[in-house]
Amino acid sequence: MPEVVSYTYRAELTKDAQLRFISHLDYAALVERAICRAKLPVVYSEGFNPHMKLSFASALALGVTSESEYMEFILSKDLCQPEVFDKLSSQLPDGVRLKALKKIEGKHKALMALADEARYRISFSTANPLSEWETAVSEFNNAESCFFQRKTPKKTRDIEIKQYMIGQLEIEANDGLIELSASVKITQQGSVKPAEILEYLRKSSGSEYDISNVEIRRTALLCGGRNLMDVM
Amino acid sequence: MVRITSDILQSVVKPARYTGNEWNSVHKKWEDVSCHFALSMPDVYEVGMSNLGLKILYEILNNREDTWAERVYAPWIDMEEEMRSRNIPLYSLESFTELNKFDFIGFSLQFEMCFTTVLNMLDLSGINVWAKDRGDDEPFIIGGGPCVYNVEPVADFFDLFLIGEAEEALPELVEVFCEWKKEGRPNGRGEFLKRAARVRGIYVPSLYVPQYDEKGMYTGLQTIGEDTPPVIYKRIIQDMDSVATMERPIVPYIDIVHNRIMLELFRGCSRGCRFCQAGVAYRPVRERTESRLRELARKMIDVTGYDEISLTSLSSADYSCLGGLVDNLMNDFSCEKVGFTLPSLRIDSFSIDLADKMQQIRKSGLTFAPEAGTQRMRDVINKGVTEEDLLKATGAAFKKGWKTVKLYFMIGLPTETDEDVIGIAELAQKVVNHYKETTGRKDVKVTISVSCFVPKAFTAFQWFGQNTLEEFSRKQMLIKEHIKDRSIHYNYHDAHVSLLEGVLARGDRRLSGVIYSAWKNGSRFDGWTDQFDESRWTRAFEENNIDPAQYNIRERAFDEVFPWEHTTPGVSRAFLKHEYEKAVAESLTKDCRRGDCTGCGICQKLGVNIVDWGKERA
Repeated sequence: MPEVVSYTYRAELTKDAQLRFISHLDYAALVERAICRAKLPVVYSEGFNPHMKLSFASALALGVTSESEYMEFILSKDLCQPEVFDKLSSQLPDGVRLKALKKIEGKHKALMALADEARYRISFSTANPLSEWETAVSEFNNAESCFFQRKTPKKTRDIEIKQYMIGQLEIEANDGLIELSASVKITQQGSVKPAEILEYLRKSSGSEYDISNVEIRRTALLCGGRNLMDVM
Repeated sequence: MVRITSDILQSVVKPARYTGNEWNSVHKKWEDVSCHFALSMPDVYEVGMSNLGLKILYEILNNREDTWAERVYAPWIDMEEEMRSRNIPLYSLESFTELNKFDFIGFSLQFEMCFTTVLNMLDLSGINVWAKDRGDDEPFIIGGGPCVYNVEPVADFFDLFLIGEAEEALPELVEVFCEWKKEGRPNGRGEFLKRAARVRGIYVPSLYVPQYDEKGMYTGLQTIGEDTPPVIYKRIIQDMDSVATMERPIVPYIDIVHNRIMLELFRGCSRGCRFCQAGVAYRPVRERTESRLRELARKMIDVTGYDEISLTSLSSADYSCLGGLVDNLMNDFSCEKVGFTLPSLRIDSFSIDLADKMQQIRKSGLTFAPEAGTQRMRDVINKGVTEEDLLKATGAAFKKGWKTVKLYFMIGLPTETDEDVIGIAELAQKVVNHYKETTGRKDVKVTISVSCFVPKAFTAFQWFGQNTLEEFSRKQMLIKEHIKDRSIHYNYHDAHVSLLEGVLARGDRRLSGVIYSAWKNGSRFDGWTDQFDESRWTRAFEENNIDPAQYNIRERAFDEVFPWEHTTPGVSRAFLKHEYEKAVAESLTKDCRRGDCTGCGICQKLGVNIVDWGKERA
């Protein structure tokens, strides 16, 4: 079989507030349809049920927005970056913005295998005083281990959160809202969700703190501390 | 404008049902248009978004500068709870405007079990559920869809109905509204309704008063007003090629029931199955040309990015140029990996060859509808299919690698005997045996899905008394007892639902009280098995002192006047009666699109013709 020449493009996209309630799979489907509408010469998998060769770096939890999602797709033609960028941009719905795009040359690791760190901002309003939250955060930062019960429809299990934390959990008050900044490891064995950190803190003092209007934003997805657009 | 906080969205399942802003949804400035029209389906988002009629009307209305059509669907139970506890009214998915600020709310009435959901949606909108209580500042509630061929049970909840195909009639109605609005809404909503009643195909129930004799039998309607038409004939599109239609379907963010492009090949089906209301309601057959279909397919793929097109019709395999169309479409989209599906398969090897070509290798199950188990019974219902046809078709499928077949049947048909019922199990067994003979293997799965027959208005069986609960249950068990093979999987429907459907399908206006009570008792989403609660309806009938058996079980006399006859598809009553007699005599009637006129009267009454391009070419 002759070798098919193909060109891999990596993109950095957002998932904004209006799309935060669609699942990762549905998000992937909407990007796929945008690529179709953009009439890009995209490469499909072989076989009887061909699908677009599209890969994402890391799935985002439902309800979380993101400033930095990464995906790769493969074209059969060597199109120039501005053309691909403009065509794709024009077909993305409100709530997805193409921030960066580049052609990847030569051998490179799978996107999924690259991402090893995610950074989050968690903001919420609360009836409890800031000092109580500050105490909870500092106890969390100083603890050796923090166990959280993760419940899925199928099973319940205890996970240890601290093993996934990078650096300190930070807290600040902003316009009557509390904002937490967390940096977590993404490992092959798993990770911790930002909502789980918040839920742990909320219950850590023994009494349950009040929270509402929770907004969680992924601010970065990194590999060895570098932007995924710059790592091969 | 309604705001739904993230706290609410986080607490309900599938929050994207309630957030709108999908690709190709239409946004306008509220002040810029004079007619605000909410298009609705009394069911969840995934069901409502899959309805072809609403998609078509969304575009036709939005193509008008003076109108903005928005969408609204029924919030699921969890969302309803959130909305009620926080006093959030029902809102539209485009502008997030409260529904009671709209000029019209149009409900697509697909089947009788959605009626209580309509009431619930009106209530959630803060709109009076009874039409007579609505004030001048409330929207006009209009109904359409297949249920219009007997809307009497819900007539008191609606201001008007559109009978038949709405592509031309709805814009006409909007014009009448805009004119009345421009004049300063003279004489309030009653005046508009009077003017609306003059639009062909519009039925304003408040202008018709049903009459009953001393025994409570329906005797006819008294019309109010001089120019109120005594009979409202369905509207119908003669030329499917030139009529405005869907070209930019909305692409939802979440998976919906039919998450693909629907390409409507033709309207109508004249095979003449005697139980089938759609077969009468959508007559005559009117095909689109192949070139128009290819043009529409190209447009819709380009603006949606979908990778699948469903070739939609009541009986898609009957499209006269189907083979050529499929080849050309597959050719048109060969580089784009677009897949095609045929939702309704005819029982013949032509259909199998096509399905094979279209599906390539994905051998998902095949579905056929023999409808009845014995030849005698199939002749009664005029299902022109023989056992040989079925075995040939399934045999062809088995040879091509399929090993799952689903067969649809009905029980409770006129003249049915136990032999006919047992015949369902026997036919399934024959299909299983045929697989073993054809392939030499045993790994076949034949699913038989058996529903309880509901006689419908404007069919040959509109006089027929439905089976009782006991009869249905006995027959369901009879089939079970006669299934001997483990390759046969047997599903049957809850007879309670079918019996209730039987009441509503041939009911009259006196049932509005029952529907209201059922809703008050907590009914909504009655079409959802997990939500349906028989006891709410039993109580509702008792509360209103109405015996449901009068509507569903009772065999009706041939000279009886029916409460649905004034909103008609144009079929002649004599034709239906003759078909019933032929049914009892086990005599067949041919498909009129390929043979002689069978005298249903619709073409003559409505001044339309059959459009069959294959016949034209021949």
